[in-house]
Amino acid sequence: MTDTSNATRLAELRLKHGRPPASPAEPSAPPRDKDLRKSQPRFRGLEAGHRACQGCGEALATRLVMESAGPDVMIANATGCLEVFTTPWPESAWRVPWIHSLFENAAAVAAGMESAMKAKGHRTKVLAFGGDGGTYDIGFQSLSGMLERYHNVLYVCYDNEAYMNTGIQRSSSTPHAASTTTSPSGKARMGKRHLKKDLLSIIAAHHIPYAASASVAYPTDIRRKVRHAMETEGPTFIVIHSPCPLGWGHDGSVTIEVARKAVQCGLFPLVELERGEVCNVMPIRQPQPVSEYLKLQSRFRHLFNDKDPRALEERQHLQALADHNITLFNLRGDQADPMDTAGMDTVRRGGPVH
Amino acid sequence: MTHVLTRGAYALPGTSLAFKTGDWRSTEKPLHHHRKAPCHDACPAGEDQQAWLARLQEGNLEGAWLELVKANPLPAITGRVCPHPCETACNRKHMDQPIAIHNVERWLGDEAISRGWQYPVTTPSAEAPKVAVVGAGPGGLSAAYHLVRLGYRATVFEALPEIGGLLRAAIPMTRLPRSIIDAEGERLLALPGLELLLRQKLGRDVSLAELRSEFAAVVLAPGCQKSRPWDVAGAVPQHLHEGLHLLKEWIDHGWLPEARRVVVHGGGNTAVDLCRIMKRNGAEEVHLLTASGLPGPDTDPDDVLNVVPRELEEALEEGIQIHPHVTINRLIMKGSVFTGVEMVSLRKLPGQDGRKRRIPFEGTERLLHCDMVVPSIGEIVDPEGIEEILGQHKYLHPKDDTCELGDHPGVYVLGDARGDRGTVAAAIGDGRMAALTIQRRINGAEPLPPDTREVATFDKLNIEYFDRTERAPLRKLPVAERNDESEIELDLTGPEAAAEARRCMSCGNCLACDNCWTLCPDNAVIKTVEMASDGTHYVFDYDFCKGCGLCSAECPCGFIDMVPEDTVLPAATT
Ligand SMILES: Cc1cc2nc3c(=O)[nH]c(=O)nc-3n(C[C@H](O)[C@H](O)[C@H](O)COP(=O)(O)OP(=O)(O)OC[C@H]3O[C@@H](n4cnc5c(N)ncnc54)[C@H](O)[C@@H]3O)c2cc1C
Ligand SMILES: Cc1ncc(C[n+]2csc(CCOP(=O)(O)OP(=O)(O)O)c2C)c(N)n1
Ligand code: SF4
Ligand code: SF4
Ligand code: SF4
Repeated sequence: MTDTSNATRLAELRLKHGRPPASPAEPSAPPRDKDLRKSQPRFRGLEAGHRACQGCGEALATRLVMESAGPDVMIANATGCLEVFTTPWPESAWRVPWIHSLFENAAAVAAGMESAMKAKGHRTKVLAFGGDGGTYDIGFQSLSGMLERYHNVLYVCYDNEAYMNTGIQRSSSTPHAASTTTSPSGKARMGKRHLKKDLLSIIAAHHIPYAASASVAYPTDIRRKVRHAMETEGPTFIVIHSPCPLGWGHDGSVTIEVARKAVQCGLFPLVELERGEVCNVMPIRQPQPVSEYLKLQSRFRHLFNDKDPRALEERQHLQALADHNITLFNLRGDQADPMDTAGMDTVRRGGPVH
Repeated sequence: MTHVLTRGAYALPGTSLAFKTGDWRSTEKPLHHHRKAPCHDACPAGEDQQAWLARLQEGNLEGAWLELVKANPLPAITGRVCPHPCETACNRKHMDQPIAIHNVERWLGDEAISRGWQYPVTTPSAEAPKVAVVGAGPGGLSAAYHLVRLGYRATVFEALPEIGGLLRAAIPMTRLPRSIIDAEGERLLALPGLELLLRQKLGRDVSLAELRSEFAAVVLAPGCQKSRPWDVAGAVPQHLHEGLHLLKEWIDHGWLPEARRVVVHGGGNTAVDLCRIMKRNGAEEVHLLTASGLPGPDTDPDDVLNVVPRELEEALEEGIQIHPHVTINRLIMKGSVFTGVEMVSLRKLPGQDGRKRRIPFEGTERLLHCDMVVPSIGEIVDPEGIEEILGQHKYLHPKDDTCELGDHPGVYVLGDARGDRGTVAAAIGDGRMAALTIQRRINGAEPLPPDTREVATFDKLNIEYFDRTERAPLRKLPVAERNDESEIELDLTGPEAAAEARRCMSCGNCLACDNCWTLCPDNAVIKTVEMASDGTHYVFDYDFCKGCGLCSAECPCGFIDMVPEDTVLPAATT
């Protein structure tokens, strides 16, 4: 582009976005829209008015993903809370093309959308969203197929660790010892008997360019990971730990606190993998005891029953699982790091530090 | 293909906005609540440190200074001599170390001097009421400044040929260079509507009755000019020099009596300053005998030696020997020659009426050989010219922080003369309060009620969002290089001051960190370019807020409260 066309383009952009003109010769923008909502300095891919519960981690995580991914995206959404609370007929909270088909086939639908875009010569990036039920369990084979066929799709799993939309049934992502309606704690068992599935390792085995875990407690980290995935050609995968106040049994006001503790105790490690190899982790500054995380949630309440000897044993089991993660991913930083669990979310006047 | 999607199969973008989830709020809604920062709450001069540190964080240096001088016109002075209770109160101490507020204040004050920033004051009208101010110490100067700021004229009567009060007469140059008093004093005296009359002493050149009839109000800020009488069981040594007098002599004429071993008796700034000067001028041993205690975990805060903490530290560095919790029992004389003191341990303990008194402990008597003892136990008001309002009292006791002298309408007393003050910052704060009260009285209103805003205590913050950082370094002249003239503590550099200001956690006020905007799951926090009426760039959209309380929990500054639906913003107070 020549200098003059650059200048014209910049003037147009200033006008469009309501910025002050560079010179008196330039036309000035009409008065700003009175609806403040419409003049927010971020992309509103997911609007207000959705019907998520108070303090919903999944709604927050999705909004954050949309801010970093949009606007030139389209979405295939699996059945689940996200799909239900964003599209109560006849409304939609989405402001991008969005398709819902079934519980089990979001990745397959996304693969089809991506192929169609490719055929039409569009660069629009296709995203696929699903809950942990839709991802770890029922949608898993279509996900695996999409990854294997190497579609240029970013798949985001909002991991709230159970089938929440149908009333808190355990999934393969539900952590060990958590109580759900289908893994209740009682005489027979202390909540879920089995372990949380190590999905990332399975994803890694597909040898895809980029896969990562993230947490709603670390929005800056989510932004960075989503942008990286958006820039990557080929299949990418992000799982975001998203507390569910109703299903986990905590107040909506502590959603971030709960998510943060999960990361800081080591139960939900934040890692990044390229071509199946761990390439980065968020070090934990001061590992917290898992009980600090567990005691915030009523799905683990039975683990604090001092009269039941199994309670301590299960707590110790979860501690051992967290410690194992810390060793496995080498999460313990040797010194304070501005990008570790204590430094990553620091703020200053004007916004986050990082 | 001419298929039409059935209405059940699609929806238009963003149409969920038609559904107002605000209806879901069952009990509480979020509301911004500006609490007082602890530093501000503790500042005797009334500065809002949070507010001016915020301007520094924005890189707006002059704006920061303008914010600061809303309360304190003399920051280069207080930045040097204030015992900084703000830092003692600073929330940051619970995380790592308090903000070095006084160092930043000093740096900003010096910056204002070198850049020639001017007070934000407009010329009072020629008919504006005129107020008399007696004394040009920090209290009187502050009162005059605030009167002019509020649109009045002020005439300052000062007995001495120079302004500054104890700042100039008693505080050593090593702590407060005279060039700084000159620079800030001259800037203040150049204010429009302010008249200074030097060598005009109340009681000698002008009477209180004259002032009361000629001026709309009279502000008395004469400090304390008379030493408290001192003796030990009725005895005093020959050639007794009293502490403050000695210090003033030394500052004016450079004269000190010769002595090898000196005992200074007292527990305030004068005593400690004098010890250090005697030591620097050749005394081999200098002992400070004080009834107070040294700061420490076991010492009651109101029992601690009443000096700026870093002064004490420097005195110890320089080899002053401090004897806490003692008093002088007896003077030891060989004939008529003074050879030492007998001291005894004591404590301040509550008696049967609950009031504390000093109880010496039998059996703890011991001797200290010395050839000079200097009492430095404080001063009282000089009654000359104010006999009718002072009566038999040692101090003028105004009724409260308004500085009004109860039985004498139109007369205001501030600073050291009140008897319950004792710092430069307190005198400056009084000057402001007196001016504000005068304004209200002239307008026929009652004085401002005491400030009862809630303090943003540490538990209100979410410190997850702040990382540990080092406090700015304090550089000092090495002990060997200290002399009578050079300033001992050195200034911060610009980048150091900026970094220190960034450590401030904005307790109780919005940090503009975006947390609420970023973390609301319902897009119910709206960010604005313009400042909203509560002084922030964020507004709650109650049409959509579900009242989850997440923003409140994650606000780092304790600025968002969850409150019952019908609550309105607490009225702003200044
Ligand atoms: C050695 C020493 C060190 C100190 N160090 C510190 C310190 O580090 N930090 C700190 O915060 N505080 C310190 N102080 C205390 C501080 O100096 C005083 O609290 C403060 O100066 C009080 O201010 P003021 O305006 O009330 O009175 P002053 O400073 O005493 O000023 C009173 C003024 O009124 C004038 N005046 C008196 N009578 C009349 C009259 N009749 N007519 C006209 N004018 C009159 C006087 O000449 C004087 O200029 C120190 C005090 C001393 C003695
Ligand atoms: C094939 C099929 N089986 C069952 C359902 C019922 N169903 C709808 S949503 C849902 C749970 C979704 O759970 P998850 O994927 O974890 O998402 P969440 O709701 O927790 O976000 C189920 C079981 C369905 N829609 N389709
Ligand atoms: S951190 Fe800042 S606002 Fe909070 S008490 Fe300290 S100086 Fe004041
Ligand atoms: S986070 Fe959002 S929905 Fe929750 S209380 Fe705050 S403004 Fe309301
Ligand atoms: S969260 Fe941040 S931006 Fe929001 S009110 Fe608190 S300090 Fe201000």
